[in-house]
Amino acid sequence: MRAPRFGVRLFALAAVLAIVATACANSDSDGGGDASEGPCTPPDTPVITFSAYSTPREVYGKIISAFQTMWKDEHDGQQVIFQESYGGSTTQAQNIVDGFEADVVALSLAPDVDYIADAGLITHDWTTAPDEGMVSTSVVVLDVRPGNPKGFADFDDIAATGVGVLTPDPASSGGARWNIVSMYGAAMHGYAGVAEGDEAGAQALLAGVFKNVIALDKSARDSIKNFESGNGDVAITYENEVGVAQDAGLPDEAVYPPSSILIENPAAVVDVNVDKHCVRDVAEAFIEYLHTDTAKEYYRTVGFLRPTDLTLAKAGDEEMGFPPIEDLWTVDDFGGWDALAEKLFGDTGIFTQAFAEAQG
Amino acid sequence: MASAAQTVRRRPKLRAPTVTRFRHWSLRGAAITYLVAMIVVPVAAIAAEGFGQGLDTFRAAMASPGAWAAIRLTLVASALAAIINAVFGTMLAYILVRYRFRGRGLLSAIVDLPFAIPTLVTGVMLVAIYGPNTPIGRAFGSAGIQLMYSQLAVLLALCVVTLPFVVRTVQPVLLELDTAEEEAAQVLGASPWKTFRAVVMPAIRPAIAAGALLAFARALGEFGSIVFVSGNLTNKTMTAPYLIFQLTNQFKPEEAAAVATLLFAISFLLVLLTSRLVRTERKEAKA
Repeated sequence: MRAPRFGVRLFALAAVLAIVATACANSDSDGGGDASEGPCTPPDTPVITFSAYSTPREVYGKIISAFQTMWKDEHDGQQVIFQESYGGSTTQAQNIVDGFEADVVALSLAPDVDYIADAGLITHDWTTAPDEGMVSTSVVVLDVRPGNPKGFADFDDIAATGVGVLTPDPASSGGARWNIVSMYGAAMHGYAGVAEGDEAGAQALLAGVFKNVIALDKSARDSIKNFESGNGDVAITYENEVGVAQDAGLPDEAVYPPSSILIENPAAVVDVNVDKHCVRDVAEAFIEYLHTDTAKEYYRTVGFLRPTDLTLAKAGDEEMGFPPIEDLWTVDDFGGWDALAEKLFGDTGIFTQAFAEAQG
Repeated sequence: MASAAQTVRRRPKLRAPTVTRFRHWSLRGAAITYLVAMIVVPVAAIAAEGFGQGLDTFRAAMASPGAWAAIRLTLVASALAAIINAVFGTMLAYILVRYRFRGRGLLSAIVDLPFAIPTLVTGVMLVAIYGPNTPIGRAFGSAGIQLMYSQLAVLLALCVVTLPFVVRTVQPVLLELDTAEEEAAQVLGASPWKTFRAVVMPAIRPAIAAGALLAFARALGEFGSIVFVSGNLTNKTMTAPYLIFQLTNQFKPEEAAAVATLLFAISFLLVLLTSRLVRTERKEAKA
């Protein structure tokens, strides 16, 4: 009878799986909820759950360990533990609204933070923090092939017939909206071959560019990856994305349109969660730390990001190879995100119409 | 086979074998080309990219934050999901085959749902039902168990996604199994459990093992649902496929390829093991 041999083999397999299973059960048990209702006693070892968009992962890796060292020195050797989560900015915001208990968020654009605030989880006015709640900035650039063979200089060049353009999908990538707002604003400011204040001209520019779009990737990073694999003549992206790609040894080259929006990345404490975990003091100290010179230096050198101050950002940074920008402005020039959301992305919005035109 | 040969022989002598051979070769060629183009070439390309520089790329990938923890979590959670589905999948298959009851067809259709639903939707669904803001999530939360955004969430998602495998491998074997033996056992006074263990189990064991191994292999690569349920905490709930995604996002395609190669090497070994298990058992059954 040969069956037992099979049985033995099966048993061995089951045993291996079971051992592995026990290992999992053990590591599962340390993930229990430490939240308690009622009066809040700060934990001996505070744990900060940090949720961020994926691009500045390496920057935050450095800033967090610098903060931990500083905190330890100032608090009798107390260790702060960080649980870090990185993902798409809007996905992260959605997860937090759905109950992912992040104490601190660092996202790619203000509306994602507002989304968490609207759900009642951020109860303070986060824009009253230093630098109006922003920790880093960047500008919109055109990522071109080495040597800029097609000689692009501004957005109207990439609206010309026969150009292959990559830009993320504004429906799924919050960050993609930076590109669209930047093109719209540049046109309204009299750049990109459009007369100042000519809204119809701005719409025509957007339609022209989106007619040339060969792929609407789901995120800014996917767009660049797509460009790297040889698709298209130009990717509309941000200076820091090109910086990261160049740092990774890729042959990307940035062309700076003369007029750009100042891309501002916010960070905020999630009130409901820090109170639940009783870590408000640490979380607030961390947010403050993000505005220190030490942190700013990491944003600059590791993240290829510009400073939050508009004048400084506009002036550029020779050492980092960031050129000055002729016309740099913020969303406030057009009434802020809420007004822009309506004006550009509403049902009869300028982009909505331009996009329909480009598709038609 | 024999009858086919006879029909061929009745046709004109020269032409028939040529046509058959041509058909035979074109069929085989098309099938193999398809397999090579769709699977072998991409897999080889990934392996070459990941291990073209030897082990250095893999080591670099493992140096990124949370890499080992991610791979360990993926292996462990996949194994657990396979075991859980081996138990419940066998139960489901047994019920579907041996019992006649109202709604059986519906139950059978529901079993296949995880194959049909996009896994992204599975993730969204799990958060909607078991998330911390839902009644169920809150009830578990007050008992100190966090269902979503935890390692448990990863396990849950993997269980859902791989549920059909064991059911669908065990079901056909059970269907073919002669119920006379089971009846005989029961007539001779064996309890239903004894009957199941002594008569049914030996016959379906390889199918359970095969289904569980397939489920494990499939779980290793699950990404869509994990994005929404895990919270992707480095060193805690980040899984290996998420690690791969993150590495490609950091413009490290070689490192991503190295981790990917490790994952499908494990999958491939398991699939090989599965077919060996099944073959050995068939031989034993014949002997």
